[in-house]
Amino acid sequence: MTWWRRLLQRGRVEQQLDAELRDHLERLAADYRRAGLSDAEARRRARLEFGGIEQVKEDCRDVRGTRWIEDIAQDLRYGLRLLRQSPAFTLVAVASLALGIGANSAIFALVDGVLLKSLPVRDPQRLVLLDDGSWTNPIWEQLRDRQRDWSDGAMAWSDGRFDLSRGGTTEFVEGLWASGGFFDVLGVPAVLGRTFSAADDRRDGGPDGPIAVISYAFWQRRFGGEAGVIGRTISLDRVPFTIVGVTPPSFLGPTPGRSFDVAVPIGTQAIVRGQGSWLDARSTWVLEVMARLKPGQSIDQATAALRAIQPQVRAATMPERWPPPMLEQYLRDGLTLASAAAGPAGFRIRYERPLWIIMAVVVLVLLIACANIANLMLARASGRRHELTMRLALGASRFRLARQLLVESLLLAVLGAALGLVFAQWGSRLIVAQLSTPRSTVALDLALDWRVVGFTALVAVATALLFGIAPALRVRRVAPIEALKEQSRAFAGERRRVFGAPLLVVQVALTLVLVVAAGLFMRTFGKLATLDIGLDRDSVLVVDADVTRSPTGEDGRLALHERMRAAVAAVPGVSNAALSLITPVSGSGWNGPVELPDRPDVPTRERMSFYNSATPGWFATMGTKLRAGRDFNERDVIGAPAVAIPNETFVKKYVKGNPIGQTIRFERGPEGITQVEIVGVVQDAAYRAVRDPIPPVLHLPVAQAHGGTAPARLSLSVRAASGSPALLTRSVAEAISHVDRDVSLTFRPLASYIDGALVRERLLAMLSGFFGALALLLAAIGLYGMTSYAVSRRRTEIGIRMALGARSSRVVTMVMRKIAVPVALGLAAGAALSYWAARYVTTLVYGVDARDPLTFAGAAVFLVAVSALAAWLPARRAARIDPARVLRDA
Amino acid sequence: MNSPKSDLPQGTLDLLILKVVALGPLHGYAIAQRLQQISRDVVQVPQGSLYPALHRLENKRLLAAEWKLSDTGRDAKFYRLTRQGRAYMHDETDSWHRLTTAIGLILDAADGEAS
Repeated sequence: MTWWRRLLQRGRVEQQLDAELRDHLERLAADYRRAGLSDAEARRRARLEFGGIEQVKEDCRDVRGTRWIEDIAQDLRYGLRLLRQSPAFTLVAVASLALGIGANSAIFALVDGVLLKSLPVRDPQRLVLLDDGSWTNPIWEQLRDRQRDWSDGAMAWSDGRFDLSRGGTTEFVEGLWASGGFFDVLGVPAVLGRTFSAADDRRDGGPDGPIAVISYAFWQRRFGGEAGVIGRTISLDRVPFTIVGVTPPSFLGPTPGRSFDVAVPIGTQAIVRGQGSWLDARSTWVLEVMARLKPGQSIDQATAALRAIQPQVRAATMPERWPPPMLEQYLRDGLTLASAAAGPAGFRIRYERPLWIIMAVVVLVLLIACANIANLMLARASGRRHELTMRLALGASRFRLARQLLVESLLLAVLGAALGLVFAQWGSRLIVAQLSTPRSTVALDLALDWRVVGFTALVAVATALLFGIAPALRVRRVAPIEALKEQSRAFAGERRRVFGAPLLVVQVALTLVLVVAAGLFMRTFGKLATLDIGLDRDSVLVVDADVTRSPTGEDGRLALHERMRAAVAAVPGVSNAALSLITPVSGSGWNGPVELPDRPDVPTRERMSFYNSATPGWFATMGTKLRAGRDFNERDVIGAPAVAIPNETFVKKYVKGNPIGQTIRFERGPEGITQVEIVGVVQDAAYRAVRDPIPPVLHLPVAQAHGGTAPARLSLSVRAASGSPALLTRSVAEAISHVDRDVSLTFRPLASYIDGALVRERLLAMLSGFFGALALLLAAIGLYGMTSYAVSRRRTEIGIRMALGARSSRVVTMVMRKIAVPVALGLAAGAALSYWAARYVTTLVYGVDARDPLTFAGAAVFLVAVSALAAWLPARRAARIDPARVLRDA
Repeated sequence: MNSPKSDLPQGTLDLLILKVVALGPLHGYAIAQRLQQISRDVVQVPQGSLYPALHRLENKRLLAAEWKLSDTGRDAKFYRLTRQGRAYMHDETDSWHRLTTAIGLILDAADGEAS
């Protein structure tokens, strides 16, 4: 019989074993009977001679070779039976493990997706990125034409947004301007149709005209995965493109955290953007450049090859009208390559530290959960001492008993991990959804891969060991005789420590760390959310108006924008409407150096300022206060004196004395030096970011800033007279369409731009708050359970004390004092740990010191209050023990 | 029954069992009896420890077992030697003989020196 058949037919094997041994005994007894013994005596002699029949059976089972499996199966059966017997324990343990393990898997899935996963492309280790920022298209064209000199193929791309609508309200999709070699260099094939070739990347469109490759997700979402999509036409910014291919589902795009819907060749920008295209702009830095190394080529070798062609590349692409020192710098800056296996790092860098911090937080939460369960298991093991002692006395080995306790732990951990994976899937998606803002959708590949599952399994085993090892170790200390003597009655109180005070210390310390972190991040977010940023976040609707497709020519744009503004201002419910080039906190910006005639030695980068252009009334619309002088007015047009309104920081940094009436000179790309007169000063208001110090900003009138015309895209800020500005969307859209049907519009309340700028802080506050609360809850449950257990163990003792005259307040004190020492030690350790860990969060907190004593003290007080409550409930129960009943029961 | 009894050297029980079973299929009790008889009660196997040995040999496929009607009118488990078992037995017997001869030689020589 093979070993697995012996295992499967265990019942029959056992039956046969029994029959065989019984047969032997019968024959032996029969022989004795024949020798003249009485029946009873014959049987007795037979049994004596044969030895213990159960012992022989055990020996026979041992030689089967399936023993360990049977034992584990038995352990599992015992374990399941025990878990069923105490459903409350099982529920608490499995639930806290599921939360702990689930949180770990969820965050790990994010870490995996953001930090660890390589691009899903062919041989990503061979990909290199042209380092440090973006490049102009002229530079790219130079590099492209010489790509074989320094690499095995190069490509470039730029993120963009395309409007799918054919007029009216916009419908944006995530776009990608990709060079002809984009997909080939990455090694991403088409699952349907074809990708681009160099021939497609022409300014007039390739042989097939303007073509597009769409992503798998977009194909499914928009076309329902229909195979006939190849050859269909799609309108991007009102230009028809022919769809030629679909990319594989694993390929989300070249940038982590960002997915694309539609990719078009870079050259087609000439058709889409016309005059506004950056194809020939020598100082518009928009392209990322990536290349594949030649076989055997190292990054350093490729960089050297690139440096060799650098002089020609730079010389052919000199930006026009840059001041000579900047041009010198431009020629000198060395081109450098860096590994690009995981794609460009923007999103990664932004979220790397927060992710690791949250990862540390969830590991701590899991440790707290483990400490909890270890305590509960210890308590149970003490309660089961009698059972374990009996089994030891009956011949079970200590190893066997310890193993059974470990199997029980493992059972809990596996149940917790299975449930945790479900939590994780749901949780990580929820977090990614939180990361997305209306302007940029965050997409990560969160599919369960072997790494996440492996990580979860590892965590489950590690936790099982963590909380299973303490009870298992204790089994060794049970000396059969002593334990049998001691039995179950404990009059003498706790001669042995029933539960692990050290575990409690660890638990309290870790919880304090998490509560402090939650306090810091929540205060940070609170500070930022209520920060006076010089903008009225709740009453403004921002309308991005793009008149590129309007029949109105460039000369009429200023008037067209003004007509739209006036129409919107007349809409009922609108108190104010004004235009600006840049929407604050939208992420875009315009900067350049200011001339400081009296300080010529100050280097360029120390005299930079940001700029914006605005129409009269824009400051009032945005809620930015005028500190001195006047606002722009209708007379500030081309021909009239050029005027400007700086913010307070600008004045503080670059202007001496009364700013009104002083002139400012600054460098503007194509226009060269511009000279303006200060007519007013406005309050500091957020420009690009909410949490950074507000930079110097100089505002110019729209009518003067763009050479008498206006850019195609302007931002129209609409202030609601009352109520939510989003409610104005429909009437504003109608008012604008009466002026011009061909303007594409995007609506978004200012508040959502500001929320978008605080995503990281909100996420940290939310997650650390959630996990801090979870840790607190777990610690409270653990403390409550331990105290309850201690009280139940000491019931008799407490009863006797009360019979002898102890008052109930004294009993409460006595019980709570037991807890006070480990809690105090834990607080001290936790404070020290938090103080040390503060160094890792200093860059993430705002308006509060990472070692803020108030936050530390608050967290400690909070934790003490929760601990006191958790210990007081069972202590009060102890004080209500009826001495008479206890003594009777004893 | 009063003659001196010897403990079995390690590993020899298997060989003895195989030898006994080589004469024909036997059930466990008969094997125990036969061992005792043949060795004239010198070798006494604790009856219980016979069975783990039998089962081990069965698992190694040196013995095969079969349930058959026996003289008592009940089914009994009869063990018989397999081909593998027979080969194993011959090998082990040979090596046993070599070993005992060698040990005998040494012991005899030592005796000679002493006298």
